[in-house]
Amino acid sequence: MNRRTTLLTAAELLGWWAALALLWLVFISAVDTLELAVGAAAAAVGALAAHAARRAVTDR
Amino acid sequence: MNGWILAAALVLAGGVGATLWGVASGPLRRRVIAQNLTTALACPALLLLAQGYDRPSYVDVALVLALLGPVGTLVFARLLADELTGDPPRAWGATWAVAGLGTVVVAILCAVAAPGRATAKLLVTGVLLIGGNVVASRALAGGFGGVRRG
Repeated sequence: MNRRTTLLTAAELLGWWAALALLWLVFISAVDTLELAVGAAAAAVGALAAHAARRAVTDR
Repeated sequence: MNGWILAAALVLAGGVGATLWGVASGPLRRRVIAQNLTTALACPALLLLAQGYDRPSYVDVALVLALLGPVGTLVFARLLADELTGDPPRAWGATWAVAGLGTVVVAILCAVAAPGRATAKLLVTGVLLIGGNVVASRALAGGFGGVRRG
């Protein structure tokens, strides 16, 4: 894994995280700090899973 | 009883009732199509009920159904692939009619509510509902025949 692929992976993870966090923000009913913290954490887990799933589909 | 609940009752009785009849009777190819359309009709009815009861959190039920309904159809399309490959079931008229109903319901609900996060949630639900059912109908019609089977 060279520098370029590391940057690409980080960019993809960041993109997934932003999209999933935005989705969470849209779906919750009350916007408060706890919801935002839980949403950011859940979006991070979701971003890792989405990246792994995309790699499983394309790199075979 | 208000107009929203009446509209939901009409969709449930006319649409979901008809598709349940289709699921319970007739040949296999008609049953899988009716099964696909059941969730596509129940989802707008649930959205109308959420509006009728003035409980925005009930939209979550429709959202989950819009997500899981087409997934269920894809499971059927995969499991019944051998039976359906010879004469794949195509029902584009019904599919687009139901998609049109979903579009109209989501558009009306977006129009009556104040724009905000709830509107975005409704739009996401509508996109999942229509996109999911078009993809599921295409899978039933054998449109993804080129996909390698794991």
